[in-house]
Amino acid sequence: MSSNNPLELIEQYLDRVRVYLPLDSEDTIVELQTHLIEEAERIGNGTMTAGSAMMAIERMGDPKSVAHEYAGSGEKVGPVPAEYANPVARITIVLVGIAAAFIIGITMLGVPLTQLFGADILNWPVSIPIMLFLNIIIIIGIIGIISLFDREKPLTEKTTLESIFGLGVEGFKPKGKLDALGDLVMGIFWGIVLMMPAIVILYSPEFTELYMLVVVWLFLGAVRGALFYIGGENNFNLAVEGILSAVWIAFAIVLLNIGFPVNYAYVYDGVSWSLFDLEGFFIEHSIPFVPFDWIWAFIIFITVVIAVWRIFVSTMKITMYLRAGKGIWWQGNWGERRSLRTPLWKRMLGEHDQFEQQKQTVFRDGYTEPDE
Amino acid sequence: MVLYVVQYIVTHNACEDNDNTEVNYVSMTKKTQEELDRWSKEVKRGAVTLAILALLSRRKAYGYEAVKLLDEKMSFLALEQGTVYPLLRRLEKRELLKSEWDYEDPTKPKKYYTVTDEGLKAVGAMTQTWNVLSREMREVVMEVE
Repeated sequence: MSSNNPLELIEQYLDRVRVYLPLDSEDTIVELQTHLIEEAERIGNGTMTAGSAMMAIERMGDPKSVAHEYAGSGEKVGPVPAEYANPVARITIVLVGIAAAFIIGITMLGVPLTQLFGADILNWPVSIPIMLFLNIIIIIGIIGIISLFDREKPLTEKTTLESIFGLGVEGFKPKGKLDALGDLVMGIFWGIVLMMPAIVILYSPEFTELYMLVVVWLFLGAVRGALFYIGGENNFNLAVEGILSAVWIAFAIVLLNIGFPVNYAYVYDGVSWSLFDLEGFFIEHSIPFVPFDWIWAFIIFITVVIAVWRIFVSTMKITMYLRAGKGIWWQGNWGERRSLRTPLWKRMLGEHDQFEQQKQTVFRDGYTEPDE
Repeated sequence: MVLYVVQYIVTHNACEDNDNTEVNYVSMTKKTQEELDRWSKEVKRGAVTLAILALLSRRKAYGYEAVKLLDEKMSFLALEQGTVYPLLRRLEKRELLKSEWDYEDPTKPKKYYTVTDEGLKAVGAMTQTWNVLSREMREVVMEVE
């Protein structure tokens, strides 16, 4: 929905442009943002209004063409028009990455690739191109229909197709500064917790042999968080992330085979704390299904999927940055977008938008002047 | 053939002669108009690089500023943002320009472009060539007139 806030209009429009730009285009977006604000101020004789912002946006033109003109949104790839080459490539990579992550995760759990959904896939692997072809036809049909509903939308509103392509943009966003700080704090916290003697006595004998490796991995994860917090996204940090993820996948194979790592839990009987045998409870009460190994397999599966995705993204981004002539270490970006608007918490503390319209006094003769 | 009567006003400010030439009411056929457009595009393509480099060799400027300055000074080139920004980026990639971000106003970060030493050498060489070309062209064109 279109807003009356000029900054929001500009942000919405730039979000549309972003969809068609290559991954590393934040500089282009900031340059366009400054251009639009200054043009809107010029049109409004020094004051930016929703109307002047909209005029500046309209002068700039269709987001697809703008992305294509400004940063060369790509070259035509087969039947895909040049302006769609980037978003289509990005969303394809996202889908392939997710598929690869799930296939590797499921394969680790011992499910054969041909029986992913409980049924045998017939004519494997000949059926794959046929399925792909049919799915592409269906997707093109769906895109055609949803595009019909987007024809009358204003320039500041994303089309349905752009919202889908936008998922690709989100999937490759650099790690946020707060996320990096979270990795640092949580890595240290859980590393220390796992080493505490009161916790170690809960482990299964197999996990007791291995838990120090998990602790080391968690501390290395904390170092990775610190690196991202300091340097943002750069090749060194991406390489660290990729290596740590690869190490985790190798480690996960071992962890999966040792089964659920915890044998006991603490219980309080009203007087004191004692150890409660988890598996013993099921055996004692003749419960045939013991779910712990399944829970453990699921946890490992999720972590492996995430690790594969991280390796995938890191490798892709490192290649991209190397092609762009960047070295190993530089002050990179964080995932947070620079918002033009003042955040809610700052507004509650009394800080106002720089571009907020000043209050005006209207005199009886119609003359107006700002209240300063 | 359809005849188009175009009120065509060209104000030509020649740097060396400082003459003002006004061409009024030039009758053009559609074909002539097309040829003029094609030729203008070809002339602009070469001129725009020199115009930007020359402008930035005298002062640093950020994208919007460069667009507006070129718009004020170069009516023939009629440069729009869609031409200037990609060219700035290409010239930076070719190491004729270098850029620096200015975050003094956080809501409007500005990427300032300046000409590199290599760029200055290129501007010098291009300007010399341009002067020779324009002098020779003027002579040739005056013979036609």
